[in-house]
Parts: sequence; C-alpha cells; structure tokens
Amino acid sequence: MQVSAELPLRANLSVLENIALVPQYRDNRPTRQAEQQAWQLLERLNRTACAGLRDPDLDSEQRFVAKLLRVVIGRPPIIVIERPGLLLPDSHYPSRLADCLAKLEDEINTLWIVDYRWNAPLYPPI
Amino acid sequence: MERPALPTHLIKHLGLKVSLLVGTTVFLALGFLGYTLFARGLFEPTRTLTLIAEDVSNVSIGMPLNFSGFPIGQVKRITLTEQGQGRIEIEVPTRHERWLRSTSVFTLQKPLVGGAKIRVFSTDLAAPPLAEHALPPLYTGDMTEELPLLITRAKNLLDNLERMTHEGSHLDQSLAHVNTVTGRMAGRYGVLEGVLGSADQAKKVVDAVDQANRLLDTLNGVSLKMDRRVFGQNGVMDQTDQALSQVNALLQQTRDSLKKADAILANAQEASGDLALLRGEIDDSVRKLNHLINEINRKWPFAREVEVKLP
Amino acid sequence: MHYDRAMRWLIELLTRSGDALIAHLLPTGRVLRFGAIALAGIFSPGLYNSATRTVVQKQIYFTAWQIIGSFSLFAALLSLLLIQITITATRNYGLGDYALEVVLRVLVIELLPLITALFVALRSGAAINAEVALMKITNEIEALAEVGVDAMRLEFLPRVIGGVISVLALTATVSLTALVLAYLSLYGLQIHGLAAFSQVLGQVFSPGQVFGLWLKCLLFGLAVTVIPIAAGLDAPHKLFFAPIAVLAGMVRLFFALMLIEVGSLAITYL
Repeated sequence: MQVSAELPLRANLSVLENIALVPQYRDNRPTRQAEQQAWQLLERLNRTACAGLRDPDLDSEQRFVAKLLRVVIGRPPIIVIERPGLLLPDSHYPSRLADCLAKLEDEINTLWIVDYRWNAPLYPPI
Repeated sequence: MERPALPTHLIKHLGLKVSLLVGTTVFLALGFLGYTLFARGLFEPTRTLTLIAEDVSNVSIGMPLNFSGFPIGQVKRITLTEQGQGRIEIEVPTRHERWLRSTSVFTLQKPLVGGAKIRVFSTDLAAPPLAEHALPPLYTGDMTEELPLLITRAKNLLDNLERMTHEGSHLDQSLAHVNTVTGRMAGRYGVLEGVLGSADQAKKVVDAVDQANRLLDTLNGVSLKMDRRVFGQNGVMDQTDQALSQVNALLQQTRDSLKKADAILANAQEASGDLALLRGEIDDSVRKLNHLINEINRKWPFAREVEVKLP
Repeated sequence: MHYDRAMRWLIELLTRSGDALIAHLLPTGRVLRFGAIALAGIFSPGLYNSATRTVVQKQIYFTAWQIIGSFSLFAALLSLLLIQITITATRNYGLGDYALEVVLRVLVIELLPLITALFVALRSGAAINAEVALMKITNEIEALAEVGVDAMRLEFLPRVIGGVISVLALTATVSLTALVLAYLSLYGLQIHGLAAFSQVLGQVFSPGQVFGLWLKCLLFGLAVTVIPIAAGLDAPHKLFFAPIAVLAGMVRLFFALMLIEVGSLAITYL
C-alpha cells in the first residue's frame, strides 16, 4: 500500500475519521472502537491536535501523518512511501520519517521508501 | 486504561435523528397503506347488496351508495343477468346495514354536471330490514335523456302563457270584461246590470217588464172586446167572408183572362197586337184584387204586408 | 476522381455522426450501468458496515433532516393555496364533491412528489454531483481504493440509499401535511367528515395506486442520486471539467425526473 502525494485524504472527513475509516470499512468495527484505535495511533505520534481537522486545514506534516496512519492501521504486508520529498516539502524529511516510523515500529510489517537516487545522501546509511 | 478524549462529531445525535426520520417515514408509508385499505373497507365486515337495473351505463366500480348524502357503500361488481338486466353488487359495511329497509328505494341519478350517483331513500326506518337475498330494483332517472323533450314542452308552455298574458291578449280582455261584468253585477241591478252593460239599460229592461205587465192587463180587456168585434154579427169576420167571395170571383176572372192569354200565346206571333190589350186587362184585374186586399187589410186589425205580384 | 472524393466525404460524414451518436448515448449508457450496479449493490449484504452506515446517515441528515422544516412549511403553503383554489373552483362549477379527489390526484399523487424530487435534485443532487466530480478529479477514489476501501461501496451506494430514503421521507411528510390541510379545508376541525374523506381516499388510493406512488418516489430518489453520481464519475481528471460535469448531470437529471413523471401519468391514465 502506498503513501503518495497523489493519493489524497477523503476531503470531507477529519483526520481521525480518515484513519478510522479503514477498520470500520474492512473489519466492520463499530465507529467508536475504530476511532479509538485511530486515536491511539495519533497519540503515539503526538498528533492528536489535528484529529478533528480536515485536509485543507492541515500542514504538510500533519497531512503526511494522516496518510501514513491511514495505511498503517490496515496492517498491510508492505507499505510503500512514495517520494517523501513531495509529502514533507519544507523539512529535513528523512529524519522526520525515521522519527515517525520508529514510534510505529510494531505496527509495520515491511516498509519501503521510494525516492530519487539523488536524494540517497539524505538518508542515514543502512 | 484512560479513555481518550475523542473529538465530538460535527452532527449531534446523527444516528438518533436519522432513525427518527426513517422510522417516521416507514410508519407513514405503511400507515398510509393501512389507512387506504381500511378506507376501502378491507377490515370491516360487509354485506353485499344486489341491485337490478335496466341500464347500468353510468354505474362504475367504486361508486358510492349515498344515504342522506353520506356514503354508506361502494359498487364492487357489475354483471349482466340471464334476463339481460344489469346486476350491481354493492358492499355495505354491516354498521350501515340498518339504513337498508325492505321499503327502501334505490335510484341512479345523473346530474347535468358530474358523475352519476346511486342513492337510497329509506323513509320508513321501522320497516323490516332488507333481506339478504333481496333484489331491489334500481330506478334510473336519467335527466339528460328527457331533457330535450322537457325543454320543448316547457318552451311551448311558456309561449302559450306569454301569449295568454301579454297586453291586449284574449285572456287579458276577457279578464278585463269579467272585471267590469263582476263590477256591474255588484251594482244596483245585480246580474242584470252585468249582462246588459249599464245601470241605465238594466233600468230600461226593468221598466219594460213593468210596462209589459201593464200591457198584458189592458190586453186582456182588449181581447174581450175583440171577440165581440171580430167574431160577432156584422163583425169583421163577416165582412171578410163577403170580401173573400168577391176575391174568388175576381180570381175566376183572372184565370179566364190567363186562359185567353194562353190561347193568344199559342199564336203569339201574329197576335202580338192583342197582347198589350190583354196585359192591360190583367193589370186591371190585379189592381182590383190589390184594392180588395187592401180593403180587407184595413178591416183586419193584424195587418200584414200583402201584395199580389205579377209573374 | 470526383466519385472518390464524394465517397470519402460520405464516409467521413457517417463516421462523424456515428461518433456523435455514440458520444451522445454513452453517458446514458453509463448512467444505466451505474444504476444497475447500484441496485445490485444495495441488496448485497457486504455493503453494510459502520462506515457506510455513517455515510447513509449523513446523506439522510443533509438531504432530508436539514430541510424538512422549511420545506414542509413551503409545501404546506403551496398545498393550502392549491387546495383552496381547487375547492373554490370546483364549488363554483357545482362540482364541490370532486374537490378532494382532484386535490388527491393532482397534489398528493403528482405535484408534491415531483416538487420534492426537484427540490432534492437542486439541493442535494447538485451537491452530490459536484462532490463526486471533485473526488474523481482529485484522485480520492484511487486513494480510497489504495487503502482497501471501495468508493462505490463506501460513498456512492450509501448516497443512493440515503437519497432514496430522503426523497421518500420528504414526500411522506409533505403529503401527510397536504392530506391534513385538505381535510381541514373541507371539513374544518371536526370528525364528522372522516367517513366521506376516507371513502374518497380509499377510492383514489387503491393498493395499486399506493404501490405506484411508492415506486415513483423510489425512482425519483434513485434519479436524484444515481444520475449526479454517474455524471460526476464521467468527469475527466481535470479540475475545469467539474462545472461541466455538474451541468451535464443536472440537465440529465431534470429530463429523467420529467420522464418518470410523464411515464407515471401515462401508466395511470392511459
């Protein structure tokens, strides 16, 4: 599953609802339960402040977190983050990314980051 | 574990509101269906009333049966009987059954505007109830069919009435006459005045009758004298007898003259000269006869215009 | 030489008009296909989960609940006016007995459902059309599919369901209001007219007529949601196509509503 600049959030739903939508829809979780699950994920990233906001009101970092959590909550076998530079334009994104992913380590099976080769020096050596 | 403070949703009590709305809708939809079925009398015990009509052309399914303007039943079926009559089956709820009596009259009325109506008239509500298998007739009084005839008749009637009543018509004059006659009748001389036209005329008649009465009295006296004068010795009759004898003789003469005339006429061609002479002779005889008759007339009191005319 | 040119011209003309015809028919075909999918989807048990339920609820809330008060008031005023006009006119012509039947047949069966459908079409139909067009243009549909959510099941079918229920709810409300107003106008605040009222009502609303009315409202509800959604999905991935998609959808919706109304009239009275 991809996290991409070309795959926007559902515009008329808040961040929390966008994240909770996946367990609601796929596992038919009751709304409150699904939202609690989403809330917990947001808490892990200290992003509960933006839970009630919708897409146009988010900054790029909040939007990225929402998109990432929407994917993470579905527990897919592989997560692809496509061009993180586009998703987190105004920051030193590799460290932000690593920060987020470290907090969600136990929620993620496999994660691939797809980026341009010329951005390779930005990432810490594996 | 501490319960996280989830942000409240934008719409409060969304589920409740929607459930309320959907519930109301379902209730209304089903309730409406139920009500229409109830209104159609589906849940009510009914009895079938069968009417026999000569013509069912204005009857339709679902048409109401009206009693005093209230619908108490509905037409359910219209069929044709073996006898070729219309058979109308009407469902009447049993609670309205009491309006149907054995003396009830059923009519189908078609007003000028609007649909036809079946009406029941039950004047005697104490009459025995209408039997289950009774087949009362439905009287069809179709106003529109008889309308042209009715209008023609009414028109004639109105024309006549107008002719009779307008100014100077016979009736008007008659009435005026009657008025004057009755006015006079009420006058002094009563009916007589009415008949004769004025009080003066009536008075004259009355006077005349009085005079006639007086006259009759004197006439009695006169007729006694007359008997003596006319039929007595040397009375009028005696003289008349003599005169008649003379007349006979004269007539004899005349006859002789006529005989001569016949003879003369036989050879009229040559004897035309004698004809004037003969004619003078006859004229003379006739003159004498006239004179005689005049004399008789003079003597005879009841004179009549008598003239012997020559042929 | 001339023959060849003529032939080429003819072929070109036929190709062009054929393309135009196909282009003209394609949206209709897509609407019908989407309608078929929607109908099939509505009856699949897999559709319903807490997310789709929320969408249905929201759709009903925005389409019906938000406007039910003001719209009922408007419909009541309109109904009252038409009822009074009908009663006065029929009484003037000595047809007062038929006032109720005329009111039921014209107002309750034909006019109010159509007005409701038009109102919902103008308000929610346009909104749905714009929203779906934007979803399509901004790639939200693919984004949802990426996280395993079928936009058809999550967004579109619930909207169809919500729209149908909303139209039914609004129609039921305004019709009931009209019935009550008709009774009050004819008989006043008394119950003695109930028998005659029921009699006429029962006569006009045969079970077939009631089902026909339900069916018509159902079709209205389907039209005001299915056509805008299909029109929105027709929009290409370019933002400037959004108004065009809305425009096309609204025109199609108007004709569809009229077609349903005319069809129902034809079926009822022919």
